[in-house]
Amino acid sequence: MTTVNWWKTLRAVPSWVYPSMLGVFLLVLPVLQPGYSVTRQVELTLILALIVSGLNLSLGYAGQLAIGQVAMYAAGAYTAGIIAMAGVTDILVQLLAAGLAALVVGILTGIPGLRLGSWSLAMTSFFLVLLVPDIVSIFEEHTGGQLGLSGIPGATLLGFQLTPTHFYLTVVTVAILWFAAFRNIIASRHGIAFQVLKQSPVLASSVGMSVFRIKLSGYATGAVPAGLAGALFANLDLFVSLEAFGFHVATGALAASILGGSVSVYGAVLGAAVVEYASSQSDSFQEYSLVFFGLFLLLGGVLMSGGVAGVARTFVARLDRAAGLVGRGPSKAGDGEAIHRIDGGLLEVTGISKAFGGNRVLTDVSLRAEPGRVTALIGPNGSGKTTLLNLVCGYYRRDAGEITLDGTPIRTAATHRIARLGVARTFQTPLIPPSITVRDVVASGRYTVEDMSFAGAILRTPRFRAIQRRDRQRADEMLRLVGLEDVADTEAATLPLGMRRMLEVARALVAEPKVLLLDEAASGLDEGEVETLAGVIRRIRDAGCTIILVEHNFGLVLSLADEIVVLARGSVLASGTPSDIANDPRVRDEYLGAGDQDVRLDDSVIAAAARQETSS
Amino acid sequence: MTLIYAGLSLGAVYALVAIGYNIVFVASRSFNFAQAQLMMIGAFVAYTGYVTLGLPAIVVVVLAMVVVMLVAAILERVAVRPVADHQTQLITTLGFGTVLTGLAQLIWGSQPLDVPFFGAKEAMTLFGGRLYSFELGLIVLSVVLVAVIHVYNRRMMSGLAIVAMSQDDEAAVLRGINVRKLAFAAFAITGLLAGLMGFFIGPKTFAVATLGSALALKGFVALAIGGFGSFYGGLAGGFVVGLVEEHAARYLGSEFSNLSVFLILILVLMLRPTGLFGQIQERTV
Repeated sequence: MTTVNWWKTLRAVPSWVYPSMLGVFLLVLPVLQPGYSVTRQVELTLILALIVSGLNLSLGYAGQLAIGQVAMYAAGAYTAGIIAMAGVTDILVQLLAAGLAALVVGILTGIPGLRLGSWSLAMTSFFLVLLVPDIVSIFEEHTGGQLGLSGIPGATLLGFQLTPTHFYLTVVTVAILWFAAFRNIIASRHGIAFQVLKQSPVLASSVGMSVFRIKLSGYATGAVPAGLAGALFANLDLFVSLEAFGFHVATGALAASILGGSVSVYGAVLGAAVVEYASSQSDSFQEYSLVFFGLFLLLGGVLMSGGVAGVARTFVARLDRAAGLVGRGPSKAGDGEAIHRIDGGLLEVTGISKAFGGNRVLTDVSLRAEPGRVTALIGPNGSGKTTLLNLVCGYYRRDAGEITLDGTPIRTAATHRIARLGVARTFQTPLIPPSITVRDVVASGRYTVEDMSFAGAILRTPRFRAIQRRDRQRADEMLRLVGLEDVADTEAATLPLGMRRMLEVARALVAEPKVLLLDEAASGLDEGEVETLAGVIRRIRDAGCTIILVEHNFGLVLSLADEIVVLARGSVLASGTPSDIANDPRVRDEYLGAGDQDVRLDDSVIAAAARQETSS
Repeated sequence: MTLIYAGLSLGAVYALVAIGYNIVFVASRSFNFAQAQLMMIGAFVAYTGYVTLGLPAIVVVVLAMVVVMLVAAILERVAVRPVADHQTQLITTLGFGTVLTGLAQLIWGSQPLDVPFFGAKEAMTLFGGRLYSFELGLIVLSVVLVAVIHVYNRRMMSGLAIVAMSQDDEAAVLRGINVRKLAFAAFAITGLLAGLMGFFIGPKTFAVATLGSALALKGFVALAIGGFGSFYGGLAGGFVVGLVEEHAARYLGSEFSNLSVFLILILVLMLRPTGLFGQIQERTV
């Protein structure tokens, strides 16, 4: 019991306090006169930690294996060294120039590297490391070539010469500032966006995130700390040589990242400390270091996917549960929550066709979905319902036909652009990113509603805070609407299927879309859940949204839809009001099975459909 | 002409790396970062067999093939099978490759070792250019291997099964194909081939522990030019890389050879990301 209380007190302290305490400790360390070897060890560790944190941003968060951080480190070091030789010794200018140089390298290599799947960035960035010696020897007169760049004048700050202690403080300060910035990026919607992207690029683009831009921003931003580390390194020994930028260092940094936990902010410090300490211990480690780094990568990848930080996180979560800090248990859908007025859009699909190779999936399909109405799309398996949704969202290119939203044609644009026009959707199999809370999942749907820059997140500007507040507020409203407010702080991926479907609806709705596409939202739900879902859909419709519902549950469709389009073998078989469709003999033949008594429609269902129609 | 021969034989080395990448890629959709290190081990084993132990050539070839096949089998078991997603496989195979590099350094040292080749020692003259027998051997080996693999994939049941797997492994399982066994076999075969390749590349590149990373990258560029999964593409890509590298080194200076290959990689990725022989795939939800 006492342990629990003790834990509660510890957890009541905001999480950023602990790393800050480490930062303060490192800042006051010189007072204790620890000696040269200790301060040097701290400096080297922090320099490596900067490189590793860049790797974490790109590998752990943006999900891209990039091994080229060492090349950016080299770019930073040589930039700082060369401008110092030219007389610019101010450390601030050097840091700025080195950071920018690294950023440019990051952007220039990230753009081509990210065009093609995961390995191409790994390889292009790996290639960078191979190029470092070549480029250094091409510019030999500036870089010193193989011999290294020696005789760099000592760093100054605003005209004052820095003593070793001052320089130590500079290194610690730069590291603290970078880690604070890193933490602020991750603890913002950008951090959530990274998680969403990692789970599924399809999902990310469906909420309007540009997959390419997010990956690039993660990778290119990750170059900046490596550049800063380079500037610090150049001033540490006032000597820069090729030895510091080989594959050996690259794999060491990667090993530190995996060891500390790639998907973490402070794991980088831990991983860097271990690798740096081990490297400094003995010469024999140098000899075996590649074997050890390789084993770190191998074991890290196989055994503990989260690194030390991941293990710590699991432990914290367990203690939290033991201490009863996490709320549990779902609630019933809240009927009280009023939905804001939504301006639905008129979606028109005209004469659309699509074939995959020789297989014609859709032939000349047209439909019209009006604001404030539910248009249901039904048909047997393989009749092309989901394909039609995917065409609307831009996942596929159509062969012929036109799709317009409020009269403006939706070209075969990138998926995230279509999402930004106001088309939101849910998926047949709910796509929920792991290890983020229910509230954050919903908030991720607002990514496009209000733009927010990395800089805003780092500096925590008033605008950032306002947006963050609104994200949270709107997410909570949506959660109340679908009845998930009691599980808002639970890890979303642990929810049962019914709740995950509701969660997807909430995420789609939070962006206030003009058109909402629901892909088999009710499949796998029990009766009570279907009831709740139907209620929610009605209220969204009444708020003015245009809803397209792909659904197999015929009873639900009849009771919910204002307009039904029946697809069969890729063409429109019939369309009309629920009672038209329910009485259409062709639909009965095609969809429900001719003369099959067992699937005859329940009269009560038809009656319900008729009532529904008259009431709306 | 001599320069072209040099380029083609160097390109054949890269094409061989690309073949290794492709076999694994086609069979399991994963990327084996340690492929080039397998070949490096093959070259070292060839050196040990030939120079240290003084074994006859045919024994050396078999020895290299068996040893590297065993290493590849271990690789599949420890770095590929236990890891579900391809992103993590990149890290684990890179880790395995790093271990191999480290071990090679410990066992064979970091100085390049000259691996001799059976057959004529001095260069021969062909169409007005000079080339060594091992260079000709490399070019022939890469072309023959690609042709054999192509025929195998088209004609044999297990070849078709591998192609089916690369399309959709779940569907392949449902058709009664033992996906795991085939993926394992693919690794073993790449190991076997890498051993053979190591024997051939040793005379060209020397056996040196740092061989792995350079080969891995150039082999990847060959693959990117040719298109993932295309064996002919990888061959053509390898030759392009080899020729560009030799010409850049000759006319611009050796420090420009890597740089020019890198520029080609960037150009290909920007202009035709699927490679010259690759196919565009539509995304699915």
